Amino acid sequence: MKTGTIGRLKRAVLGDSERKLPKSVIIVVISLVVFVLAWWALSTAFPSEYFPTPYDVGVAFIDSFQNPDPNTGVTMWQHMSQSLVRFLWGFALAFFLALPVGLLMGFSNVAETFGKPIVEVFRPIPPIAWAPFFFIVAGLFWGPVMPVFLGVFFPILSNVIFGVKSVDPLLLDAARTQGANKRTLFSKVILPFTIPFLMTGIRIGLGIGWMCIVASEMIVAIGGGVGLYIRVMADVGRYDYMFAGMVVIAILGIVTTELSGNIERRVSKWMGMK
Amino acid sequence: MDGNEIVLSIKDLHKSFRKDDGELVAIEDFSLDIMDGEFVCVLGPSGCGKTTLLRIIAGLEEPTSGKILLKNNEITGPGSDRGMVFQEFSLFPWRSVRKNIEFGLEIRKIPKEERRKISDKYIDLVGLKGFETSHPYELSGGMKQRVGIARALANDPAILLMDEPFGALDAQTRNLMQKELLRIWSETKKTVVFITHSVDEAVFVADRVVVMSARPGQIRDIFDVKWPRPRDRASVEFASLRKKVLAELEKETGMNR
Repeated sequence: MKTGTIGRLKRAVLGDSERKLPKSVIIVVISLVVFVLAWWALSTAFPSEYFPTPYDVGVAFIDSFQNPDPNTGVTMWQHMSQSLVRFLWGFALAFFLALPVGLLMGFSNVAETFGKPIVEVFRPIPPIAWAPFFFIVAGLFWGPVMPVFLGVFFPILSNVIFGVKSVDPLLLDAARTQGANKRTLFSKVILPFTIPFLMTGIRIGLGIGWMCIVASEMIVAIGGGVGLYIRVMADVGRYDYMFAGMVVIAILGIVTTELSGNIERRVSKWMGMK
Repeated sequence: MDGNEIVLSIKDLHKSFRKDDGELVAIEDFSLDIMDGEFVCVLGPSGCGKTTLLRIIAGLEEPTSGKILLKNNEITGPGSDRGMVFQEFSLFPWRSVRKNIEFGLEIRKIPKEERRKISDKYIDLVGLKGFETSHPYELSGGMKQRVGIARALANDPAILLMDEPFGALDAQTRNLMQKELLRIWSETKKTVVFITHSVDEAVFVADRVVVMSARPGQIRDIFDVKWPRPRDRASVEFASLRKKVLAELEKETGMNR
C-alpha cells in the first residue's frame, strides 16, 4: 500500500516501462514540489513585499539574466562569473596549500606539533570575520577570495592529516617487505590511501566556500558578485530580485557539492575503498 | 632438498618489549637453521612470540640481541629478498590483482613489459587467470590470499615468510589453500617459514614442525615429518603424530598442568 502511490506516480511519469528510477529521486522531486507549493500558499495567504511568491521570484530570476539591473549596471551572468572566479581562486589556493601541508603534518610528528597550535588559533575564527581586513589589504577582487581560501583550507587540511594518520600499518608493513623505502611508501601507499579523505575534505570545503563568497561579497559590497547583488537588491527594496539572487547561490552550491560528491564516490569506488 | 645448504640461520635470538610493569620477554634463546627448499612450520600457543619471530626475520622488527643470517648476510631491515604473506592479506585496495602483484617490481623499477611477464607467470601459478583486473574487494578470502602469495613470490625471494596465512579463512578454503600452497611450493622450490597455531595444518604441510613454548618463546621440541605429500589426514600415522605434537603443545597452554 505504501509503495502504491509512488509506484503509480512512477508509472505515470515513466509510462509502463520497467525502467528503474530510484525511489529516492521521486521522493526528492515530491519534496521540492511540496516546498514550492507551501511557499506559494504562505506568500499568497500573507501578501507582503518582503515575501514574494515563487512566481514573482521566477520572473525576477529570468529577468535578472536577461537585462542588466539599473543599480549595478550588469546582468546576473556577470555577477555569477565574478563570484565563480573568486570562488575558484580561493578554492585553488586552499587546495594547493592544504594538500602538501596536510601530508606533511600527517607524516611528520615534528611538523604536526609545530603546525597544530597555529592551526588551532586560526581555525575557530569564522572566515567571514576576516573579510573587512582582507578587503583593506587585498582589494576588491582578492579581498573576498581570502575568506573562501580560509573556508576551504581547514576542512581539506584536517581531512588530509586524518587520512595520512589512518593508513593501515599492515599496508605499510606489506610495502616495506616488498622493498619500499620512505619515499616510495609515501608515493605508493600513503598518497593513494589519502585520496578518498582528500575528496571528503574537498566536498566539505566547497559547501563552506560558497557561504564565504556570498557573505564576504555582502560585507565588502563593491566590485560585483552575487553576494553584492543580493545586498543591493535588499537595500533598494526589490525583494523579488533579492530572492532570485539567493536562488542563484543555491543552484550554484547544489551543483558544485553534487558534482564533488559524485566525483568522491567514483574515486572511492575506482580505488576499491569505501 | 637440494644440497642441504643453510638458507636462514637464526642465532641466539632474544626479543623483549618494554612495558609499564617491566619487561616482557617475547623470544629467548632461539636458534634454528633452515635448509634450502625446506618447509618449516613454527607452531605455538597464541602470544608465544611466533609472529614476532617472523617479523624479525622480515626485518620489520629488530631483535634485542642475537642475529639472523640470510645466505650468510645479516638481516638489518626489510627487503624484497624475503617475501611475506600476511594473515590479514594486506593487499593494496586501490590496486588491481595484477598491480598488487607488480608492486615490488615497480619499486625495483623493473620495466613494464618485464613486469607484465612476471605477473602473468605468478597469476598463472596461483590460479588467478581471468582476475587480473579485479580489485581486492571483489575477491573471496582464499583468492585474496592467492594474490598475497603471488605478490610475495613475484620478487623471487630467497625465502617465503607466512604469518598464519590461512587463519582468516573458513575450514574448507583453508584445506584447499594448504594443498594449493604445497603445489606452488613444489613448483617454485622456495624455502618456507610458516607460522600457525593449528597442529593439523603444521603436520599436513611441513617438513619440520618447530613447537614453541609460551612466554618466553623458546623452542620446545622439533618434529621431523618425513612422509611424502599429499598426506592422508585420515591415516593412523598422521593421527598419532598429531597427537604427539598436540600433547607437547598442551603442556604449554597449561591444559595438562
